[in-house]
Amino acid sequence: MTMQRIKPHLPWITLLVLTAVVGVVDPNFLRPANLLSLAGDIVPLFIMALGLTFAIYIGGIDLSVQSMANMITVIASIYLASLGAWVAVLCIAAGFGLGMLSGFLTTRLFVPSFISTLAVGGICFSVAQWLSGNRALNMDAEQRNATFGWMIGHTGIIPNELFLGAALLAICLFIERRTILGRVLKAVGAGEPAAKASGINVGRYKMLAFAISGALAAMAGLLFSVKLSGGAPTIANGFLLPSIVAVLIGGTPLTGGVGGVLNTLIGTLIVAVIRASMLYLGIEATQQQMLFGLVLIAAIALTIDRSKLRTVK
Amino acid sequence: MYQLSSVDKKFPGVHALKSIDFHIKRGEIVGLVGENGAGKSTLMKVIYGAYQPDGGQILIDGKPVHFANPRQAMKRGIGMVFQEQSLIPNLTVMENIFLGYEAQFTRLGVVNWKAMAAAAKKQLAKVKLDIDPATVTSVLSFAQRQLVELAKVLTLEERVEGDLVILLDEPTSVLSGEEVKLLFKLVRELTSRASFIFVSHRMDEVMELSDRIYVMKDGQVMDVVAKVDADASAIQHKMVGRHVDREYYREQRQKPYDTSRTLFDMRDVVLPGRPHKLNLALHPGEVLCLVGTEGSGREAILRTIYGMLAPVSGRFEMKGQELRRFNPRRSVAMGVGYVPRERKIEGIVAGMNVYENMTLSQLGRYSRAGVIDVGREKALARDWIRKLSIKAHSEFADCGNLSGGNQQKVVLSKWRSGGSDIMLLDHPTRGLDIGAKEDVYDMIRDMSDDGVGIVLVADTLEEAIGLSHTIVVLKDGEIRQRFECRPGAKPSLYDLLHHMI
Repeated sequence: MTMQRIKPHLPWITLLVLTAVVGVVDPNFLRPANLLSLAGDIVPLFIMALGLTFAIYIGGIDLSVQSMANMITVIASIYLASLGAWVAVLCIAAGFGLGMLSGFLTTRLFVPSFISTLAVGGICFSVAQWLSGNRALNMDAEQRNATFGWMIGHTGIIPNELFLGAALLAICLFIERRTILGRVLKAVGAGEPAAKASGINVGRYKMLAFAISGALAAMAGLLFSVKLSGGAPTIANGFLLPSIVAVLIGGTPLTGGVGGVLNTLIGTLIVAVIRASMLYLGIEATQQQMLFGLVLIAAIALTIDRSKLRTVK
Repeated sequence: MYQLSSVDKKFPGVHALKSIDFHIKRGEIVGLVGENGAGKSTLMKVIYGAYQPDGGQILIDGKPVHFANPRQAMKRGIGMVFQEQSLIPNLTVMENIFLGYEAQFTRLGVVNWKAMAAAAKKQLAKVKLDIDPATVTSVLSFAQRQLVELAKVLTLEERVEGDLVILLDEPTSVLSGEEVKLLFKLVRELTSRASFIFVSHRMDEVMELSDRIYVMKDGQVMDVVAKVDADASAIQHKMVGRHVDREYYREQRQKPYDTSRTLFDMRDVVLPGRPHKLNLALHPGEVLCLVGTEGSGREAILRTIYGMLAPVSGRFEMKGQELRRFNPRRSVAMGVGYVPRERKIEGIVAGMNVYENMTLSQLGRYSRAGVIDVGREKALARDWIRKLSIKAHSEFADCGNLSGGNQQKVVLSKWRSGGSDIMLLDHPTRGLDIGAKEDVYDMIRDMSDDGVGIVLVADTLEEAIGLSHTIVVLKDGEIRQRFECRPGAKPSLYDLLHHMI
C-alpha cells in the first residue's frame, strides 16, 4: 500500500537525490551554466523520448526511433542544399509517414509493435546507408547557420534548444491532456477492450501514436544533424537505450496507460544526470551503454504492471 | 470413498460454497446441476485441487487429505476432463496424453517414441478410439478430442494406487446426439475403472446418466436425488426456486410499451454458423429478454445488434434504416449502448476517472476540433453522480476503485447521458449484491419510462421473468418460443425451462 502511494513520486525523488549526490561529489555540477548546457545537450534525446512516450503509453514500443534519427541526419545533410528550410518539412513528413507504416503493420496486420518498428527501423537504416553511400556527410556551414542557426544559438545564457524542447513538450502535453487523441490513447493503454466496446475506432488512434513517435524521432534527428552540422547512418547510435530508459524511468510503464510526457521530461533529466555523473566517476563512453542497459532492466522491473500480463514470451 | 465434509469457500464479497457435504461411491456416476453462479465450478475446483477450501475437510477412504494443486489431486486419483478442451492442438495425440509425464519413456532426455506410441494405443483402447497415436491433435473432431482427453485422465489408472474419480465438465456441449449416446455408453462401461462426476446444463442428460444428482443453488446443496426418484420439474424447481418478490423486480412499475414505433427489426436474419432464421423486433419502452442456456445464441444476437457480428442474410432495420455495414461505431452513432458482461474489462477503463469513463463513447460531443471541453465533462459527471447516487468521492475518482454496483452505474450513465435508446444489457447484475441489483432494476424501469428499448440477457430466469415485457426463448441458435409478460400474467419458470432444454 505504501509502495503503491510512493511509486508515482519515485521519478522526481530519484532526480533530486541523484542531482544532490553528484552535486556533493562535484559542486561545479550545480552551477547554472553547467546545468543549462547539460540540459541543452540532452534536447535531441528528449525530443526522441517524447515521441516514444506515445508508443509506450498505449502499451506498445517503437524501436525504430534511433534508425529514424540516423536516416533523417542523412536526408537533412543531403537535401539542405537543394530544399533549404523545406528540408524540415520533408524530414518530419518522412518520420510521420514511416511511423504511420509501423502503426498500420501493428493495428491492421497484427504484427506486434516491437517487431513492426524493428523492421521499419531496418528499412530506415538501410535507406540511410544507401543515400549516404555509407559515408559521413557534412552540411554547408553557412547555409546551415542561415536556415537552422536559430535552433542551436543562445538567448542570453539559455541554449535555444531548450525553447524548442519546451515548445514540443507543451504541444505534446496539450495533445495528451486536452484532445480526443490523448484521451483515447489513455483509454487504449489502460483498457483497450472497454475503449473498443465504447465504439471507438481504436486502430486509427493507435496508428497516430506511432506516427507522432516517428515525427518526433525525425525532429530529434534533424536537430542532431544541425548541431553536428552533418549526418551519417550510424551517427545517432546510442540513442535508443537512453530514450527507452528516459520514458520508463520517468514512470510510463511498458504496459501503458499511466505516466505521460511530463514524466518523460523527468526521466530524460535523470538520464542527463546519470550521463554527467559517469564523467565524474570516470566511466568511459564505451561503457555507458552497459550502465544504461542495467538501468533499463531495473526501470522495467520497477514500473511494469504485472496484473496486466497474462504470459510473457 | 471420496467425500467432502462441510466444505466452505469464500471469496472477497462472495460466500461461494456454504458447508457442502458431498460423497461419491466406487463406480458411481454422480450428477451436479445448478444455475450459473450456483457454485458448481467452485465445487469442482475444490474437488480437483485448484482451490483449497477455507473450512471443512476432504476425505479419501475416511482419511483427511489436502491438495495444494491439481497435480497433487491427480496423485490421489482425481482427474478432470475440461469443458474448454485442454489438449494442445499442435502436439500429437500421444504427446498430449503423456504431457508432463514423459519421463517414463525417456532415457538420457531422449524420448522413446515407439514405447510412448504403444502406451498411448493402450490408453486409447480404453475409450475405444482407434486412431494413430502420432496423429496431430488439431485434425481430430471435437468428439474424438473429448475421448483423447478422457484417455489422458485414464492414464491415472496406471499411475496411482486406489480409486479414480473423474470430473466431466459439460462434456456434451459440443457433441451431436449420436456422439452423446456413444459417450454415455462408454462412461457406463468405464465405471468398472472409475467413478464419475458429471456436470451439465442439460437436465435430461444428467437424469439419464447419473445414479444420484446433487442440486446446487447459492453455494449450497439443496437436495440429493436418487435416479429412481428423479423428476425434472422438481429438480428444476429446487435449482431456481426462491421466493420471487414482485416488488423486488419493480413489476408494479412495468408499463405497456409503445407499439407504434420500432427501434430495430430483424427479419429472417441468419447469423454466421447458425442455420436458423431469426425474427426479432424491439419497441420504445420494451424490455426484451433473451433466455437460453450458455451457447444458445443469446450473445450472438447482442453482438449483431452492437455491430460486432455481421449477419449472413436477412434484413436488419434500425430506426427505419436498413443496415448494410456492421461495426460498433455505426451502432453507437445510431443510439445503441452496450453494457457488457465483463464489466471490469469491457465496461469501465480502470485507471481512468469517472468523467473520462462517462464520455468515452461520446468524445465528439464534448469537444471542438478534437479539443476536449473538460469543464463540460466534469459537469456531466457531477450531474449523473447525483442522479444515480453513484458512490464516488468526486468525478476524479478512479473507476477501478469503485464497487461493482457503482461501476455498473458509470457504464449505464455513459450510454444514457449520450442519449442511447437501444440498450443491450448483458448480465447487468452479475456479481452485484442485492442492494446494487435493485438499483439496476430501478434504472431499467427508469429507462423504459424514458422510451428506451432494452435487450436483456439476465443473470437468472427469475430476473428475466420479473423484468421483461417480452421473453424470447432460444435453443441452439433458434427462437423456440415467445412469451408476453404482462404484470400479473407472467410465465412460470417451468414454462421457460420446458422450451430451453
